[in-house]
Amino acid sequence: MLHVDNVEASYGPFLALSGATLEVRVGEIVALLGPNGAGKTTLIRCIAGLLRPRAGGIRWDGASLASVAAHRIVERGIAVVPEGRRLFATMTVEEHLDLGAFAPHAHAGRVQRLEEVYTIFPVLRERRGQLVRALSGGQQQMVAIGRALMAAPRLLILDEPSLGLAPRIVESILGVLGEINRRGVSILLVEQNVQAALVLAHRGYILESGRIVGEGTGAALMDDPHVKRAYLGPLALRH
Amino acid sequence: MTIVLQQLVLGVLIGGLYGLAAAGLSLIFGVMKVLNVAHGELIMLGGYGAFWLFALSGLDPFAALVVVIPVALVGGAILYWGLFGWVVRYHEETRIKNSLLIGFGLGLALHAAAVQLWTADERSITTAYAGSVLDVGGVSLPVVRLASLVIAFVLIGGLHLLLNHWRWGRAIRATADDWEAALMTGIDVRRAYLIAFAIGTALAGAAGTLVSVGYSISPSIGLEWTLKALIVVVLAGLGSMLGTFAGGLILGVAEACSAMVFGGPYREVVGLVIFLVVLVARPQGLFAK
Amino acid sequence: MRPASAAAGLVIVAALAAVPLVVRREDILNFLFLVLLSIALAQSWNVIAGYAGQVNLGHAAFFGLGALVTRVLWIAGTPVVIGMIAGALVAVAFALLIGWAAFRLRGAYFAIGTLALSEIFRITVGNTLAEISTLPQTTIATYRLANRYWLALALAVLAIAAVAALARSRLGLGMQAIREDEDAAGATGVDALRLKLIALVCSTALAGLVGGCFAYYHISFYPSHLFSPGWTFDAVLMTFIGGVGTLHGPVLGAIFYVFFKEYLAIRWVDFHLLIFGALFVAIVLLLPGGLVEAMGKLRGLLESAAFTPDRRRPRPEHR
Repeated sequence: MLHVDNVEASYGPFLALSGATLEVRVGEIVALLGPNGAGKTTLIRCIAGLLRPRAGGIRWDGASLASVAAHRIVERGIAVVPEGRRLFATMTVEEHLDLGAFAPHAHAGRVQRLEEVYTIFPVLRERRGQLVRALSGGQQQMVAIGRALMAAPRLLILDEPSLGLAPRIVESILGVLGEINRRGVSILLVEQNVQAALVLAHRGYILESGRIVGEGTGAALMDDPHVKRAYLGPLALRH
Repeated sequence: MTIVLQQLVLGVLIGGLYGLAAAGLSLIFGVMKVLNVAHGELIMLGGYGAFWLFALSGLDPFAALVVVIPVALVGGAILYWGLFGWVVRYHEETRIKNSLLIGFGLGLALHAAAVQLWTADERSITTAYAGSVLDVGGVSLPVVRLASLVIAFVLIGGLHLLLNHWRWGRAIRATADDWEAALMTGIDVRRAYLIAFAIGTALAGAAGTLVSVGYSISPSIGLEWTLKALIVVVLAGLGSMLGTFAGGLILGVAEACSAMVFGGPYREVVGLVIFLVVLVARPQGLFAK
Repeated sequence: MRPASAAAGLVIVAALAAVPLVVRREDILNFLFLVLLSIALAQSWNVIAGYAGQVNLGHAAFFGLGALVTRVLWIAGTPVVIGMIAGALVAVAFALLIGWAAFRLRGAYFAIGTLALSEIFRITVGNTLAEISTLPQTTIATYRLANRYWLALALAVLAIAAVAALARSRLGLGMQAIREDEDAAGATGVDALRLKLIALVCSTALAGLVGGCFAYYHISFYPSHLFSPGWTFDAVLMTFIGGVGTLHGPVLGAIFYVFFKEYLAIRWVDFHLLIFGALFVAIVLLLPGGLVEAMGKLRGLLESAAFTPDRRRPRPEHR
């Protein structure tokens, strides 16, 4: 469904991605792992249309995303939950969810979808009229995910959803992601919490210094010695 | 005592227009990070529009709002497409700098054009009811200025409602908060910019119309009103239209107070001094969210 | 500076200096005076905006302060050069006040802060010093236009030399780094605040001196006119039309501007502002390098048209 082919991207003179290739197939949860600064967020920005790759291609449903404007990516069925959540500081929970359905294709059925989101995240229903600034980190993450879900995506991309959250909350959020996946949404998950991500994911990729250095099923990667040394266990790379 | 009250009331009456003038500027700057220092010249043009409509066809200036506002909306869209839309490809600091320069040149050109076309003379619209005054407890309220205040409030209230309940109004707010997140939510940020700029210009046109009927206009009011708007924006901070309106009222009252204490000619100075003080002490404004 | 350019520069300055000795016509001297003073004024704005990248929309404040202080002191009996230096110092003092407050905030605050300052002065001076300032009869009797002319020439040379020295110095390179990207420059250890303040001091000191020269030159004027936004407009327009951030830009721009302004003003009163305003906007959007950039492109076109096979021809230096 999503094919990233040998993408290179740079910020000015700095080459952030030097040839990343991955794919997400229908119904999968794919994890994208790697240390800070490896280029994971850069890759997400390329898929989201915020950064134009200088080489390589990104294809979705067989069509290239190269000339698609960033705000149209959502219409194609890809929704992004950005790193750091990127919520709208002056808006309430309900306004966020309402805006999530901004794209034309998401307009129909949004009442129903809002109900679904409130069912997945009951806490948001309670706090629907509150400004998001007043919410806890975990609740804000729920708003961000809910906003993306309101666009009825077929692929949901999340960039470090567990950042800054307590382990218990992380667990519940990852559980929710599993539930969303079972309802038919494919997921591309960028995570620093390698352990939890690999348990959840069907497949995974390791991105280091701008290129993919490893891939495999979730289980296979968890057994991989390099992965174990670098990302799991006591001497794991500290972020 | 009545004299003091009278001056304060007059200050409030013009303060409403300051708020309206500032609202347009604040909206545009908040959403696009573009500072149009020719905003005052747009107000001036709105004023002349109403003036000539009245002079040539007798159209009542308050009724003229129905003409001026849509025309200014379109005018704003044209200014965006032709000028300010081009600076949005830069990042914020360069955007601000280039918009300052473009606004500067635009203001210069519009001012010179106005002088060429209509001379530097002051104009004012004098309707049949221009002299009517409402007497409340010894304080006289010029009806025209009172109506202007009410209209200014209604327009800002309307803007507030638009931003909260209209789909594109929320999109504009989202763009102002975080334009990349807005893009990722499917909002066409360029269109949000266009709409915000058009609305901001429409508000300027409306403010100009109200200025021409209650007060007077001339080509040189441009710089004056740009500064008023800037002072109110810095005073009130970005993000709240109602806060901006309140900021305008505060400026009007402050000017009235200073005129009473220091004398009429220094009325303009106090606003500028307040501006500098707020700049140094609390640049994010008094009501910033 | 290459010896050829330095020699050419000296010849031009010498020739200009000799003009009052050869030419008797006052209108020519007045015109050249205006051009020289404009060059100095434009270069002064160029320092803060072109090199340090800080847009100053209230340049009139510093020109006006220099002019006002000089005028007051000179009429009271102080030698005019001392008066001018005092004027420049006063201008710098106010500049530092605004700069120190505004430079730590976003760029817009400095622009509007200086604009507010110049308007405050214009209105206050207009209220407190409402009468026209005229030179006493004794001074008018001994008025020598040539002296004013040479002073303006000296200021123009000073301004150009200052910008030339600055552009090549480490200070200047740091300023240009700030202009391009202040955050990135900060990351490489550049002290942005200090450099911006230094640029501001140079810029406003020069502007103050230019104002002082104007006060020395004009027989009578309204003091509030010294703070008219027109002075800011002139400086900004000239610098941009010529090429902001370059050494020759303000010079070209000043010559172009003064010439056309005088020519157009004869026929239409304020119309030149409309044309210049529109031209200015076009330049900001389409040709930010102004005349200097246009000339460079023209030269490039001509060179490529001449089919020069030897690609190792030295590039002419303009920045």
